[in-house]
Amino acid sequence: MATVSFQQATRVYPNSERPAVDALDLDVADGEFLVLVGPSGCGKSTSLRMLAGLEEVDSGSVLIGDRDVTDSPPKQRDIAMVFQNYALYPHMTVGENMGFALKLAGVKKTEIAGRVAAAAKILDLEAYLERRPKALSGGQRQRVAMGRAIVRQPQVFLMDEPLSNLDAKLRVQTRTQIAALVKRLGTTTVYVTHDQVEAMTMGDRVAVLKDGVLLQCAAPAELYDRPANVFVAGFIGSPAMNLVTGAAVEGGVRLGGTVLPVPRDRLARAAAASGRVTVGFRPESLQLVGPGEGFEVVVDVAEHLGSDAYLYTRLAGADPDDALHPADVVVRTEPRSSVVPGQSLWLGVPPDALHVFDPATSQRVD
Amino acid sequence: MTIASDSRPRAVALQPPPPAAAPPPVRRTTRLTRNRWGYAYVAPFFLVFGAFSLFPFLYTAWVSLHRTSLSNIDGGTFIGLENYRNLLQSEFFWNAARNTLTIGVLATVPQLCMALGLAHLLNYKLRHRTFFRTVMLMPYATSIAAATLVFAQLFGRDYGLINTALEAVGLERIDWEGGTWSSQIAIAVIVTWRWTGYNALIYLAAMQSIPGELYEAAEIDGASRWKQFLHVTIPSLRPTILFTVVISTIGAVQLFGEPLLFSGNGTTSGGTSGQYQTLGLLMYQQGWSNFHIGQAAATAWAMFMIILVIVGVNAVIGRLRARADR
Amino acid sequence: MTTIALPGTDSTTATPQAAPPVRRSGAKGGTGGRAGRAGPVTYTLLTLSALVSIFPLYWTMVAGSHTNAEIAATPPPFLPDASLFENIGAALEQAPIGLAILNSVVVAGSITVGTVLFCTLAGFAFAKLRFRGKGLLLSLVIGTMMVPTQLAVIPLFMMIAELQWVNQLQAVVLPTLVSAFGVFFMRQYLISALPDELLEAGRVDGASTARIFWSIVVPVARPAMAVLAMLTFLTAWNDFFWPIIALTNSNPTVQVALAGLGSGYVPQRAVIMAGTLLGTLPVLIVFAVLGKQIVGGIMQGAVKG
Repeated sequence: MATVSFQQATRVYPNSERPAVDALDLDVADGEFLVLVGPSGCGKSTSLRMLAGLEEVDSGSVLIGDRDVTDSPPKQRDIAMVFQNYALYPHMTVGENMGFALKLAGVKKTEIAGRVAAAAKILDLEAYLERRPKALSGGQRQRVAMGRAIVRQPQVFLMDEPLSNLDAKLRVQTRTQIAALVKRLGTTTVYVTHDQVEAMTMGDRVAVLKDGVLLQCAAPAELYDRPANVFVAGFIGSPAMNLVTGAAVEGGVRLGGTVLPVPRDRLARAAAASGRVTVGFRPESLQLVGPGEGFEVVVDVAEHLGSDAYLYTRLAGADPDDALHPADVVVRTEPRSSVVPGQSLWLGVPPDALHVFDPATSQRVD
Repeated sequence: MTIASDSRPRAVALQPPPPAAAPPPVRRTTRLTRNRWGYAYVAPFFLVFGAFSLFPFLYTAWVSLHRTSLSNIDGGTFIGLENYRNLLQSEFFWNAARNTLTIGVLATVPQLCMALGLAHLLNYKLRHRTFFRTVMLMPYATSIAAATLVFAQLFGRDYGLINTALEAVGLERIDWEGGTWSSQIAIAVIVTWRWTGYNALIYLAAMQSIPGELYEAAEIDGASRWKQFLHVTIPSLRPTILFTVVISTIGAVQLFGEPLLFSGNGTTSGGTSGQYQTLGLLMYQQGWSNFHIGQAAATAWAMFMIILVIVGVNAVIGRLRARADR
Repeated sequence: MTTIALPGTDSTTATPQAAPPVRRSGAKGGTGGRAGRAGPVTYTLLTLSALVSIFPLYWTMVAGSHTNAEIAATPPPFLPDASLFENIGAALEQAPIGLAILNSVVVAGSITVGTVLFCTLAGFAFAKLRFRGKGLLLSLVIGTMMVPTQLAVIPLFMMIAELQWVNQLQAVVLPTLVSAFGVFFMRQYLISALPDELLEAGRVDGASTARIFWSIVVPVARPAMAVLAMLTFLTAWNDFFWPIIALTNSNPTVQVALAGLGSGYVPQRAVIMAGTLLGTLPVLIVFAVLGKQIVGGIMQGAVKG
């Protein structure tokens, strides 16, 4: 078991101006499950590969435990990795795949067999030890890849989108299994995914990256309740937070024809630079209120999902020229509500559910 | 921001391929660098390749600037481009070049056309598919020497099976080896026999990689089978056809074994009046019958130049067509 | 998504190996020109082509098993006869075909082993490793594929004369020990069949570079190595131009011996045919056994190339 620490770690690909990972500072506690999440090209995989020793670190350093491993090859780092495509050796049986690293490390045959058998038992792979990967289903291959990591008993598990090749249902199942398994083993884990649901459900903490920069690293609830900036606010949660930018006026922000109240000091600080304010409110925190209260929207589409319903709406009286900030609002309501497209509604936002951002910096204002 | 659409489709679109280039590119040189291993892996190949291919290619150019013979391989007089001048003034060279061209055309054009047709046939749903394919490839497995010896007999003037057959249907016997056109046709037949099946398989492989939807779309558009072949198959095969044309032409320029063995007496003159002398054979004759190595080297380089021109022309055609398609 | 084959699946199935094209079953698609069911015309044409392909070889057997007089008769014989062994005996007296076959086995065998080994090493490096000058070296290899053999033989002959290797087998083996085509072929195969992640998994598992090659690359490359081996053996067995320069009839390969047999001043047709049959038989046997794989290999190479 060990901690992991990125210190100003930077990776610049040759022939590229912008760093793929830019001065990453991140500490992972011993036994912690940390998820790196972000859109394509945000540097999450590159970060993981820097930790694995598969990618050069151009400046800064990477530590595992107290050891600076910046320049160490993968095999000296005492890590195990689960790849997106599993990367199982096609010519080896399941057992050989799982035992390969131990064999290379010179572990005695009987001990390898014991550890492989133990891992196979945990992962319910005992019946398949003699099979080749191609004779396995996708879910089984995924488990073999996990097994290959756990027999190593490494200091750190690295997982690079290990669930992305599974179908939706299996992905949800495996998600919980992996989280439980890793908890049980207590091994420090760094997990990369593009899927914010996966990130939120699995991670002790979640680090959101964009364009090679770490935007926020926090526990899932914190990330959801207090996103540090506009990007994180929009990235975490599904459907995403409604984010609307409007002119700051006395008492609040102008949304279409109405003014949404914003506490005075936050309004002042957020609007200081540009005179405008970005406000965010999650679909589920919107409340139907009486006409004249809150702000008015017109329903475009109503989606009934059974457990709840989503209304896709448009601000009434929005400035049609404001093309850069199309002011659409998603509302979660009770299922089987009788709302129909074209209908006009009045919505209110409870003060504690309102997120305020400075449009100039995109940063949260509290 | 707009409505946040459901995150699923976005997630799929965003799936980041970890940068496709695997071994990490190197900026700071560290122990992770695997740079030197690349050289270790290619070293054995390049040692042999350099000593027995690259070096000889270049050294041939050097030799071609000398008057030197096989018995005098170390020495030789530097004579500049005289070998090339002699070559261009030599009737033998032009005769061989002409023959190489005509035999090349006679051997390549029908061969590739037949291969295309054969591939089309092989592409139907067939019983005994493997059998047909394997049999078509048997000539390719037969050596030049064996094939030429057999065909020399089949084309024999007095007892050859082909003349016997001609006579049986009331035609006259042909002195295949003696005549210019007849001998060249006969040699072209040998080449065609050996290579048609091979090229057919290459075309077949290319045909099978054409997506079926293209044919379905053409069919819905009302294209007949023949139109489909013309407007779907052939255009899709164009790169492959260009490739086989280049390969066959390179092979044709180097034609050697067939004309050497066709006469049946092992002479290097390509028939009594050189009627099927080729550049490859001429080069051998200059070097190993006349012992004029410098001259042979000049011929070899001339052959290379011809190939370069042909490949260059093909590349230009390919590029122009590609541009026209765009 | 990366386009590399799923590493979980075996490479032989994951890469588009042309051998048995899936389309044949025709369950879906292909009502078009390409995948229709063959009619009688198709079968007739194909059968005719097959006959043309086979007939010269069959005739070799027929002619080789008769006497000269019998072959010359009108109508000629069309069935094999009893004189085969007599003719073979005569051929063996006129040309050292037994020695030639032995030599060819040694020569083609060594060339095959060398080519497959060196080309797999280099092909892997070109496909998956990074090193300075890689692009240049690769274009060099590809460029030389169109250089005619004629361009190399003169200096090669000087070299083997210098080394006193004329008429010795190593003179044929060494210059042919590698092939530019082989490197290109292995590179194309490994680019698609060997996912980068598999190599990275090996590194994370602690394998050395050499170990990665033997334990991961070679097993994945095996199907392509087999194809390259078959094609190389065939080419080496049939190679004519350089052997006829480097060797003489006293220590020939099969092709050199056949050339000698065909160049006798008194053409004994039946004997020549018997000798030709003998010299071709080993390849035909290999072909009978591995024909399907060779067909698959050529088609696969065509798609990759």
